[in-house]
Amino acid sequence: MTIMFRAKLAFSSFVLLFTISALSQTSKLQEEKELEVVNFKSIKKVLQQDGLSQSAKMKTKQVAVLKIEQTNLEVNRFNYPKEDELWGFVSEYWLVKNAQLLGWDFEKPDYGLEASFRKTLESLGFYQKKFKILLVNTPTLVRASFPGSEGEMILLLSVPFIRSLDLSKLEISLLLLEDYFRLEGGYFKKAVSTEKLKRLAGTNFYGKKPDMSMIEELLNKYDTQINQKGYSFQQQFETTKKMDSFLKSSPELWNAYFHLLGKLQSFLKVNVQYKDYLKLYPSPEMQLKWISPEEKIL
Amino acid sequence: MFLILLLSSILSFAETTSTDEKVVGIFYMNPLFGHVHQYSVRTSASLTTIQCAHPVKVIESSKVSISNEWAYVQVADYRGFVMKQFLSETKPDCIQGKYPKFFDMLNMDLSELYYWGRLYDHYVQGETRVQ
Repeated sequence: MTIMFRAKLAFSSFVLLFTISALSQTSKLQEEKELEVVNFKSIKKVLQQDGLSQSAKMKTKQVAVLKIEQTNLEVNRFNYPKEDELWGFVSEYWLVKNAQLLGWDFEKPDYGLEASFRKTLESLGFYQKKFKILLVNTPTLVRASFPGSEGEMILLLSVPFIRSLDLSKLEISLLLLEDYFRLEGGYFKKAVSTEKLKRLAGTNFYGKKPDMSMIEELLNKYDTQINQKGYSFQQQFETTKKMDSFLKSSPELWNAYFHLLGKLQSFLKVNVQYKDYLKLYPSPEMQLKWISPEEKIL
Repeated sequence: MFLILLLSSILSFAETTSTDEKVVGIFYMNPLFGHVHQYSVRTSASLTTIQCAHPVKVIESSKVSISNEWAYVQVADYRGFVMKQFLSETKPDCIQGKYPKFFDMLNMDLSELYYWGRLYDHYVQGETRVQ
């Protein structure tokens, strides 16, 4: 019995010892494996020979660059448009907001204005000029000119006004040319531009609340400029003188312009419907005086 | 016999459709917004409003005769007309795409999108020649 017990004890202790030794051996081997994997020094030469360490470094760099680019892309999504892009955008947004009031969404005949105005511009040496003409169906807004995107001009003209004055294509083109000169003079931008626009255009609002009051302010200033403020005598004088000097090279155009100003003067004197025109565009009578040739006293 | 009849009818149908219609290509809407019109007239009703860079399938069909200014197109389930000057072969750089968050913040309503599209239909656009 005792012998049997001793034999069992010896066997179990042997099994225990074997298991412990086996376990300790396995953990050592794992550590060694881990060490081998972590310890680059041992395979540094092999890696260098294969160029693997370089490609590993390159990959790390590439990942870092991609991450920066991805962050930049995300940040750029929060940009305000640049000033030039904003002008065109706001001009059209104003037209959209005032679509019903201006009544530009109506059927009208093709007046052939594209060819006529293009020819007038080209005959005076204005090349590579982009323009958009929008005819409005209201007598309240007779004419206007806005800045478009990428140097483009947006020109508005009232169809009831064209009909009331029975304007020819050439006369319409001359009115549009005056508006083009006003735009070139920068009067509109100067009158409408805000401090907020200059401060925010082209900047970024990532992580901040966007200030959309910039657009509201601009739209309100468009309203004021187009319906109330208009252009000063000084600005009208400069525009008229510019017309005079450009048209002098073409007597046919100059005579048409002189005749048009006379037509406007007599029409606006008697037409109460267009009384506001004189406040916004002073005044055909003065314009005539400014360009009239001086009378020589003999 | 039935199988032959079925096959011949399928073949003849395929032939008819292929001769009647041809996909010219995929083009992209160029202006900020635009309309697919019911007829090839600037003031005709809008079937749908599409944004800048929206892909448009241009179709040539013997059943549809239009002037050179217009393209017969398919956008989703709608088939209508878009002015060729508004279509671009390459994807344009749109303000909505360049400044998406700014654009979202404007919260434009449907009538504004509609009128913006109409605006381009009504513009008389031109450019003086290069010197």
